[in-house]
Amino acid sequence: MPPQRLDQARPFLTLAVVVLAWLLVPVVVQTFTRASFFELQAPLAVAASYARDLKDYWSLRLHTNSELIEAGRDLARLNASYEDSVAQNLSLQAEIGRLEELLRLPTYADYRAEHARVVRRDFSGWWQRLVIRKGANYGLPLGAPVIFSGGVVGRVTEVHAYTAVVELISNPGVRLAAVIEGETQPISFQGGINATFDPPKGVLEFVPLNVFASAAQPRRLVTSGLGGIFPPGLNLGTVTRVEPSLDGLYKNGEVLLDPRLSSLTEVTVLVPLHPE
Amino acid sequence: MRRTLATFLPLLLLWALLAQVNHLLAPLHLYLFAGGLFVAYAALVLPWRDGLAAVLLAGLLCDADAPVRLGTHLLLFAAAHAVVGNIRDRVPRDETVARVIVALLVNLALFLALSFVLIGRGPAPAAVWPRVFLDLAASQVFIALVAPWFFALQARTLVLARVERDRLA
Repeated sequence: MPPQRLDQARPFLTLAVVVLAWLLVPVVVQTFTRASFFELQAPLAVAASYARDLKDYWSLRLHTNSELIEAGRDLARLNASYEDSVAQNLSLQAEIGRLEELLRLPTYADYRAEHARVVRRDFSGWWQRLVIRKGANYGLPLGAPVIFSGGVVGRVTEVHAYTAVVELISNPGVRLAAVIEGETQPISFQGGINATFDPPKGVLEFVPLNVFASAAQPRRLVTSGLGGIFPPGLNLGTVTRVEPSLDGLYKNGEVLLDPRLSSLTEVTVLVPLHPE
Repeated sequence: MRRTLATFLPLLLLWALLAQVNHLLAPLHLYLFAGGLFVAYAALVLPWRDGLAAVLLAGLLCDADAPVRLGTHLLLFAAAHAVVGNIRDRVPRDETVARVIVALLVNLALFLALSFVLIGRGPAPAAVWPRVFLDLAASQVFIALVAPWFFALQARTLVLARVERDRLA
């Protein structure tokens, strides 16, 4: 009976119409829709992050005075050590400036450090990213490098009104040029292996044949500065294995990333002062 | 319109709760996906057009938040809605157990479809599958635990929104 058949096919006919309509929607409308829906969700995520901060505040209020005095004493020691580091840093920067002038070298891009709280962490097998609590309202640009005390976190891939999305270096889509500390040849780093309950890992390609590393003798991997996004010398992870590739021209390897990447609560965005 | 919005609001709440759970699970490298819950109730219980509208909105909500091409979740959810909508008269859809089973099956299908779409981007796709299966197992357990509460919430929201109760709840 044709009417019943038509009725049965109605879900799929509607699906075909939806697919067709979606394919015909202009890219501008799609982009606007994505931005609108993201901004619709943003207050929920940000409110939850403020609620977590409030919870931390009230749990800290439960500490006794003697615990606070101890914490203050520890902080005073840390401050003294940091003041010393700041003085050393200033003299080293002056030295670099002098050498750059003497050798007529181009200066490294200057950055403004913008600290931001992590609103949300997404650490699936498909993608790894963070949402942070600063966005266009603090002048964060697209592609800005993001770091923490353990090295590189990732880069800003989306900037919204008051939030931004950071793609982590463990994300499969991230690829950047790196160098092994003490070496000069750049090698290719890609994120991507994130087993459950294991620290995140990355993959190395085009490692020169004269480079050796193992779990017993790991090597530190740092950013090369090539590509213009990340300043050179930032920690990426530890190379724990390199072995010859199938063609024998280079080696491939494995990098152990910082396990704190998946539990970050605060990061620093490096905002270029003189964007090109 | 009111019915669509009344269905979409619990979906928005589900999205927010899921985001918080995933935030807390991130240090363990575990991720929950509950696409089946976004589709099951709307496809099984609601009138065709209202259910589809709510599911499409949920798809856009998930798309906006994920690094995938806009429309991926939308089209997958729409396809799942079409399949479930086609068979809904043949399942005992008034029973919670049947609804939960449908949600689990839809979630399984959506999870595998998304995995096939996304997993090829990595340097070693084969090495990622164990992680994906563990996430899938955790997601299915999560749905089995949460689905009865969530279906009741959706039914209750429709009642509060003064949409015909006897037919839907």
